[in-house]
Amino acid sequence: MSEVVLSIRDLEKTYPGGVQAVRGVSFDVHQGESVAIIGSSGSGKSTVLRCINRLIEPTGGVIELGGTQINTPRANVNEIRSRIGMVFQSFELFAHLKVLENVTLGLRHVRGMSKSEADKVAMEVLERVDLLERVDAYPGNLSGGQKQRVAIARALAMKPEVILFDEPTSALDPELIGSVLKTIRGLADEGLTMIIVTHEINFARDVADRIVYLDKGLVAEEGPSSIINNPKTERMQRFLASMNEEH
Amino acid sequence: MNSRRVGVERIFSWSALDEKTRVGIIVSVFLLVAISPAVGQSIETGWDIAESGVDSNLNAAAVHGNETWVFGDGGVMLSSSDEGMTWSAMNSDTTADLISADSAYDSMAVLDSTGSVLMKQGLDADWTNIGSPGEGMVDLVLIGQNSLILVGVDGAIWRYSASNWQEIETQFTENLNDISFLDENNGIACGENGTLLFTTNGGISWNYREAPTGSSDSNLISVGYYNPYRLYAASSDGQILSSTTTSAQNWNLVEIESEGYNTSLDENLKSIEVVSASIILFAGPDNYLGVSLDGGNIVEHNIIPDGINTSFNDHAMIDYQKGIVVGNQGVILLTDSSGKNDLVGFEIPDYGNFGEFSEYADDMMLDGFKATVKIVGFGILFGFLIGVILAMFKTAPTNLKGLVEGRPNGIVRTLGGGLAAVGLYLFWEGVSGFSELGLDGIEYIFTPVGDPRGFAMFGLGIALTLLGLLFLSNNGKFSKIEIGRVTLNPWKIRPLNSIATLYTDFFRNTPLIVQFMFIHFGLSLGMEIQDAYESVFGDMGVDGFDYWLLGESAFISAIFTLGLNSGAYQCETIRGAIAAIPSGQMEAGRSIGLTYMGTMKLVIMPQAIRICIPPIGNEMVNLVLNSSLAMVIGYAELSRQGRLIIAVTFQIFWAWGMVMISYFVVTWTLALLLRRLEEKTKIPGLGISGGA
Ligand SMILES: Nc1ncnc2c1ncn2[C@@H]1O[C@H](COP(=O)(O)OP(=O)(O)OP(=O)(O)O)[C@@H](O)[C@H]1O
Ligand SMILES: [Mg+2]
Repeated sequence: MSEVVLSIRDLEKTYPGGVQAVRGVSFDVHQGESVAIIGSSGSGKSTVLRCINRLIEPTGGVIELGGTQINTPRANVNEIRSRIGMVFQSFELFAHLKVLENVTLGLRHVRGMSKSEADKVAMEVLERVDLLERVDAYPGNLSGGQKQRVAIARALAMKPEVILFDEPTSALDPELIGSVLKTIRGLADEGLTMIIVTHEINFARDVADRIVYLDKGLVAEEGPSSIINNPKTERMQRFLASMNEEH
Repeated sequence: MNSRRVGVERIFSWSALDEKTRVGIIVSVFLLVAISPAVGQSIETGWDIAESGVDSNLNAAAVHGNETWVFGDGGVMLSSSDEGMTWSAMNSDTTADLISADSAYDSMAVLDSTGSVLMKQGLDADWTNIGSPGEGMVDLVLIGQNSLILVGVDGAIWRYSASNWQEIETQFTENLNDISFLDENNGIACGENGTLLFTTNGGISWNYREAPTGSSDSNLISVGYYNPYRLYAASSDGQILSSTTTSAQNWNLVEIESEGYNTSLDENLKSIEVVSASIILFAGPDNYLGVSLDGGNIVEHNIIPDGINTSFNDHAMIDYQKGIVVGNQGVILLTDSSGKNDLVGFEIPDYGNFGEFSEYADDMMLDGFKATVKIVGFGILFGFLIGVILAMFKTAPTNLKGLVEGRPNGIVRTLGGGLAAVGLYLFWEGVSGFSELGLDGIEYIFTPVGDPRGFAMFGLGIALTLLGLLFLSNNGKFSKIEIGRVTLNPWKIRPLNSIATLYTDFFRNTPLIVQFMFIHFGLSLGMEIQDAYESVFGDMGVDGFDYWLLGESAFISAIFTLGLNSGAYQCETIRGAIAAIPSGQMEAGRSIGLTYMGTMKLVIMPQAIRICIPPIGNEMVNLVLNSSLAMVIGYAELSRQGRLIIAVTFQIFWAWGMVMISYFVVTWTLALLLRRLEEKTKIPGLGISGGA
């Protein structure tokens, strides 16, 4: 198997109020692999993702990126974050910047590229997410699907070692979900390393190489995408059943 | 729409304004700059020509009893007994040029160009020649009925008394030009290269007085001694020097207001005549006569009667208004108004007539308007800057835990120990001074005023000690402390937030009018800044940008007070706007690797500022209205000008009405600009939609 890009060992997070959101989660993400994290609401999926790029500090465990531990107080968070892309449920585009500027912001101010270099890179990634004709639009004038694709482009432009998707389609109207999922699928096919938190079970099964099922802050089941068809634990069976009812 | 460039640089472009706004701006500017009226007034000379009957150059004049005397080349002597209207020639027994004259103690003395002195010792006495100490004498002064002093080239000083000539030896060798005495003992002489010599013993010994900077190379041609504290001198190229210290200790160059606060009249001078503590008459070689009523600050250039073109040499004044001036080619002019130009056709304005009132008021109003706009403009910029910085301080998440976490405990504890030690020292130093204040009980709340330095040490000492103890106790757990039912976690204290809160609380809980007075009179902030500027960059002069910006200490104090005060209020508004930006924006910025400050600058602030333009606009309008309080520190803004106008015209309704309209124009223009700014920076999907 190819090398491990991201390794999570015994990750724990207890929020200040005392909520034990994550209680010892471990899994590895290999080069070129796409991992889907599924689980019911409140099971700690977002918490895991946010610990990985240190938007929140884990209270225990070890996270390694490319073989070095990144959750130490001494580590340079800004440098780490620029190596990990993040796509949010609510897009979080910079409303005062045009599409192109949203994508180039990190390139120019984190990577230190000139405007022309950054524009070139940005145009390439915007082409990959099929948004070339909207580069001069403000986010406020885009559809939800377009917004999420800009957000993906913004993360992609930084050439991250791994991209984290936190329910990228949950805030979208059903008819807009398709374009975003198609974009993500395209990236998976290109061999991008990614972790996707999603409620789209079918999408997870089709796209992900591996599934991690979280329940109450613990990994309840883990395996190739085929486990969705044959869940071993009763809990996951019930979870999948409830998801199917919804659709 | 999408391709429209949005940027601050476009917002104020004239061509981008719509027609309504343009017309509005033009009309308001027009309203303020009222057209100056033309009235049939004229200015005429205050000097009349007297017939001298001679055409020799007349060099000197003196008043002797009821007679006025004039002396000139070729031994010409004229006298007049009707205050200078008619003149008759007198026999002088000499053909030498008479160059200088003086009259005092009922005596009169004249110096001729060979150094001989003619003297009239008593009102009815005849002229007698008392001989000559030598050539090269240029001026003389009487120091008693029978005694006088001569000065001349190479620092020569001769004293005549008890029928004896005595040369006064000094180490001064510059050519001397003029000499003047207050009484028998105190006198002053002036000469080339800024030479000023002073005596207190009737000219027996002389001391050097330093000329002010800027005139140490000047050729001082004339000096006048009015009273123990009023001495004036003038240089050949138009500088006016004054001394208001006893014994003429210190000399200053007068800044001549009528010449744009210049230190030179830009006229060549020959002689000055000091007729009162503040009235000085000037005579110059290029047909120049001038008068100042205020010690040289404002010098009026006299209109010279038609047909006169001469070099004026000397005045002789009967009183402070009546007198004569003499010049070359036999010119004698007389005045009964200190030479002041006559204003013909000028009436006392009737301020009950609105036209005449506004004619008087509009210039003052315009000055006030400019002054207000000036403090408001700088105040807004400064206040906004402070507001932004404070808002960033207030929202900064860094707490003490964040500062300490990840650093080796040894270092943290050592630092803690050091801080505690310094803190205790400061605390003790501060407290030990308090007892000297002699305060009782509740009076101790005034210690910050009584002993500001001590109080600062006391406060800082407490803060540092507590911080040091906290760091010393660090065990990496950052746990909270429980005192009875109260729990608090000192590690959660955000230092920047605390500083900003202290600042805003202070400025929002004290009256602005008191802040104005405290900052201007109490701290003398404006003056301190001027002094600091001058000690670094030198004298700022009397014009140019630095003078415009820093020339007035009340202006500096005013913009600081307004800015500091407004900043405290704007801070809350901006903080609110920052809080209104979804937290996901900060996360998104950080997730691409931007630092906290980078995200603040590139993502949060640009959005927050757009959101808070309307409420900030309100703050700015408040600032304009508050600027009227600057009148308490003597800054000549609109309200103060209003009061000055009332002091002269007594038209209360009109004056305050005008002030009100002017304020409205300022705030209304500001509101228009802000509305425009809001529209121009509007971005789809950001902020509450509405408006255009
Ligand atoms: N900032 C927070 N402070 C306190 N508790 C939190 C915080 N964020 C999340 N939690 C709690 O942690 C638990 C896990 O939350 P998390 O957001 O990770 O769940 P999730 O799996 O992402 O759920 P969802 O599918 O609804 O997004 C929940 O019980 C939640 O209430
Ligand atoms: Mg979630």
